[in-house]
Amino acid sequence: MNEKKREAISEFDVHSGEPVGIIAAQSIGEPGTQMILRTFHYAGIEATIATSGLPRIVELVDARKRPATPITYVYLDSEARKSLEKAESVAKRINEVRMNGLVRRAIENFSKGTVKLILDMQAAEAVELTAAQIAQKLAKATGYEASVEGGSILIRLHTNNMKEIRSASVRLMKKVIQGIEGAGKAIIQQDKSGTFYIIAAGSNVSEIIKLDGVDKSRLYTNDVFAMYNLFGIEAARNTLVNELKKTLKEQKINVDERHLAVVADAMTYAGDIKGIGRHGLSGQKISVFAKAAYEETVKHLVNAATFGEIDHMRGVTENILVGKQIPLGTGSVKLAIKRSGSKKVESEKKQDKPQ
Amino acid sequence: MQAEAIEYIRFGVISPDSIKKVSVAKLTVPDTYNEDGYPIDGGLLDQRLGVIDPGLVCKTCGARAKTCPGHFGHIELVRPVVHSEFAKTIYMILQATCLECHRILMDDERIEEMRKSLAEESESEEAQHGPQQKRIRNVKKCPHCEAPTAKIKLSSPTYFTADERRMKPDEIRDILAKISSDDLRLINIDPTITRPEWMVLSYLLAPPSSVRPSITLESGERSEDDLTHKLVDIMRINQRLDQNINAGAPQIIIDDLWELLQYHVTAYFNNETSGIPPARHRSGRALKTLAQRLKGKEGRFRYNLSGKRVNYSARTVISVDPYINIDEVGVPQEIAEKLTVPFYVTTWNLEYAKDLLSRTSYPMVLNIISRDGKRKRIIDTNKDEVLKGVVAGDILEKQLVDGDMVLFNRQPSLHRISIMAHKAKVLPGKTFRINYCTTAPYNADFDGDEMNLHVPQTLEAQAEARYLMLVPYQIFSPRDGSAIITNSEDGITGMYNLTKETTYLTNAEASYLLGICGIYELPKQGKAGMYSGRDVFSMILPKGLGYEQQTAHGPFRIKNGRLAEGLITKETYGRDNGLFVKIAMDYGYEELKDFIYISSKLADAYVTLCGTTVGVKEYSIDKKLEDERSIIITETFSKVSKLIDDYRNKKLEPLIGYTLKESLERIIISELNAARSHAGDVLARHEDETNSAVEMAKSGSRGSILNLEQMSMFLGQQATLSGGRIKRGYYSNRLLPHIAPNNIGPAARGFIVTSYYSGLSPVDLFMHAVGSRGSEVYKALLTGRSGYLYRRLSNALQDYYVRDDKSVRDVNNNIIQTVYGGDTISPIYTQFAKLSKE
Repeated sequence: MNEKKREAISEFDVHSGEPVGIIAAQSIGEPGTQMILRTFHYAGIEATIATSGLPRIVELVDARKRPATPITYVYLDSEARKSLEKAESVAKRINEVRMNGLVRRAIENFSKGTVKLILDMQAAEAVELTAAQIAQKLAKATGYEASVEGGSILIRLHTNNMKEIRSASVRLMKKVIQGIEGAGKAIIQQDKSGTFYIIAAGSNVSEIIKLDGVDKSRLYTNDVFAMYNLFGIEAARNTLVNELKKTLKEQKINVDERHLAVVADAMTYAGDIKGIGRHGLSGQKISVFAKAAYEETVKHLVNAATFGEIDHMRGVTENILVGKQIPLGTGSVKLAIKRSGSKKVESEKKQDKPQ
Repeated sequence: MQAEAIEYIRFGVISPDSIKKVSVAKLTVPDTYNEDGYPIDGGLLDQRLGVIDPGLVCKTCGARAKTCPGHFGHIELVRPVVHSEFAKTIYMILQATCLECHRILMDDERIEEMRKSLAEESESEEAQHGPQQKRIRNVKKCPHCEAPTAKIKLSSPTYFTADERRMKPDEIRDILAKISSDDLRLINIDPTITRPEWMVLSYLLAPPSSVRPSITLESGERSEDDLTHKLVDIMRINQRLDQNINAGAPQIIIDDLWELLQYHVTAYFNNETSGIPPARHRSGRALKTLAQRLKGKEGRFRYNLSGKRVNYSARTVISVDPYINIDEVGVPQEIAEKLTVPFYVTTWNLEYAKDLLSRTSYPMVLNIISRDGKRKRIIDTNKDEVLKGVVAGDILEKQLVDGDMVLFNRQPSLHRISIMAHKAKVLPGKTFRINYCTTAPYNADFDGDEMNLHVPQTLEAQAEARYLMLVPYQIFSPRDGSAIITNSEDGITGMYNLTKETTYLTNAEASYLLGICGIYELPKQGKAGMYSGRDVFSMILPKGLGYEQQTAHGPFRIKNGRLAEGLITKETYGRDNGLFVKIAMDYGYEELKDFIYISSKLADAYVTLCGTTVGVKEYSIDKKLEDERSIIITETFSKVSKLIDDYRNKKLEPLIGYTLKESLERIIISELNAARSHAGDVLARHEDETNSAVEMAKSGSRGSILNLEQMSMFLGQQATLSGGRIKRGYYSNRLLPHIAPNNIGPAARGFIVTSYYSGLSPVDLFMHAVGSRGSEVYKALLTGRSGYLYRRLSNALQDYYVRDDKSVRDVNNNIIQTVYGGDTISPIYTQFAKLSKE
């Protein structure tokens, strides 16, 4: 065998100049298409299509204000996590119960100006409420006169205006009677070690954290904006990484966490959450050409002309457009020459001095 | 080589003065060619605008068709029209200013405030980048002259009214012209670059003829470009309007023509402007005007500017060649003879260059580029002359030979390893040949795939290809650090069988195998003069290698370059193995590359020697398994029917957080899945490795127990798009008329008890088709979505890179991460870092 070069590898750092943004995008984008092609081989079997997967990644990366399926994980303090009873009491205070979940039928009487709410006693029992309690809470929440009549509640509105009655009855049905508005349905879970915790199908963490019995240090929701509003930008960034990681793992796609971190940091480094795409990061780029080459070409050019914008030709797209080397990778290196006799070092381009 | 560097590009609106300055001709005749087929003076293809016909000379610069860049002309509009793309801006400005005194509708206090904040902003860099003006609206009274403001309305695209009264373009232009420069600065418009009155056009710039060349059809007929057509329309109406005005036509007629002119100009800029019918070609096709040329996937930006066509490239079908190294690519002789690599002549290699030049067969010089940049083709008649004239500084373009660096690419190029550098290897035949170990990064197969090859043309590019892009450097994926270039499938089976404890080879066999690998010595003899398979395999391991790993098949141990214990499976030799990492870390990529290549040859040789196959036999099941299968099915069915009974009698315990009905469905699904995995377990227990399908599944070379089970036991539950059981199709919630109403048992909802081996019943086949269709639909749906996600991601993140201080920054020097990944470690090397710590 011929003589081979033997070069042991001992440096594990990223190379300077490495275009880590593109690599991160590729690492997430490439398996996205592969993941789909693979389903072809398993014709139909158990293609468990959950709300996760690609739609979830799109949702995260778009920085949607409300996720399609918000979930909050409420861990309990040392006392409540061991007793089902205490856990249940916390869950009861969280569990969002709306009027429309308790009412079987609402009958509006326009001549008398009343709304009769026929209660679903089974549902009421499930959340441990009696008709009288409901009536009382409803009256308190709305200010209307409410009285119990057997299995139903009669609301007196003192008006004959049909529109008012109708809108009042719609409002009544939406009223939260018990629990936290926006917290959703709360379910008690038990992990392997026997500790109780609560999963809620909402994301009103800023209210949930106020409850007694909740372990405030571990409260977590998959709603990035809710995390941002309660804990700040770093928490939002970590939530983004967590959620991306979880979603990809479910799809059995291995992507290094560093790539996800680049995406999350790109979305959050400016202090607020920006989505990827036309209305977020890409749309807020400085370069006119980069924006024009992406989407809404004409709009960006017209705006640039109107406001006399300047493109400093520093980015990747701009330089590709004019056929120059891109300023990343080996293109990020510049030469400086010190001529013999001269004291000054001349650099190749003065452009490489961003203020 | 780089051209003069562009420092920056500033955008602005062109002024009428500038138009007149850049224009070389005033166009007056709304036509192109005369009867003799000669461009009309003052027409749209006036020879002063540049020439496109080969024989003619440009009247402006004197150059011929190929060298003349083209020159702008202009059209004088007899009545001004609004530039439709700026209508919104004009609207904004009209709303923000007083129609009486032409001051901005802000009181002095706010003006002062704005000035200050603008001054602050202009110090920071962000200031120039975009419209930050807040809209000024609904001001009732002008704070400067006290006049009540008019209600300005814009009905798209270009119809303005003030207090219900029509504002004609000339009126708008005059109003805009009276706004002071200071006031314009307050709404972020720089009056030295852009004056608002320039947004109302009195002169129209006509692009050079080279921008809108006419084509001569085979019949000799001329066909004009869409832009020319539109300009003809504009000029015709312009002329008619002029005639009518001069003839003193009634105002209505003039206004109508004026509006028609406005329409044509609007369509000229953007034929998809909302509110106007698109201008059409005679054939009914909508014209492609200026905006259409620029935008979209096929527009100038994305089609021609972001993606460019190249020379020095080749494309053909690919096919396998397991006998070329993984960093090589087989190039057909025909292609090698056409592609060229530059050879830079210096005083030191002048003699060699002359030798090259004098060659008359295959590796010969095709062109010579002299120092003044002129390329000359070398032919028999000028060869001697060229040979005499060659000097240092000339560049010879010689044919591609073995060992030249080339870039190899398969589309779609979804990640960076879709383009890798290979060493060319010129071979007979008409296809590119690659080693099958490199198919994974390209996602290539050999069912007709075509790939592209590029020859880097500068020494810098060749060096980058050699030291950054060469295949050995791409073995580990940048996505997760796993080995993406690796042996697979039959190759794994070969090594699996070879490294089995029971494998012993005769002298002849061992010599044959090692001979293929280029190893001409034998390992130590084992018992009875035989050679153990492990010892034979150990011969290809790097000398002195030490490695250990725990696997599902027990420990895997390499001691001092010898496989002491364990089997080669996908776990130990595949994507996520540590063996490759260890070899790369201790011996380098070059060694690892050869190990992959040689082991693949060894594996292929062995698997060919002992043979492996799957057939119907692998999927037939004996009486015992058949019974087990029936038991699993009957048990599952009875369990499910009991669940359904419980549900109907309200005895079923609901799952927490679910209604009774949902609970039932979930319990049934989990029960059915359990049945299938149970059947898989039974199968795996029952079958041994004499079944080569099981062997393949266990070694990880191809297939899984699940595949096997579906073929020989039963298919299991078919899912719908939403993940649940199939429940609709026929009326009253039945799937098919064959199923009784209210039957919600396994068989009624897409649970298939037959296997591919036994054959599917018609009902089962239908259920299976439902499932298959679902996954096809899903696939089609998601390909588009994922492609768009990828485009958005790469667009948003493309400017980020690692600075020399290992921070992540964008090209404007904003810091994205202070330390890449928190620890500066590259994803490629995560496994290396882990292993080196151990």
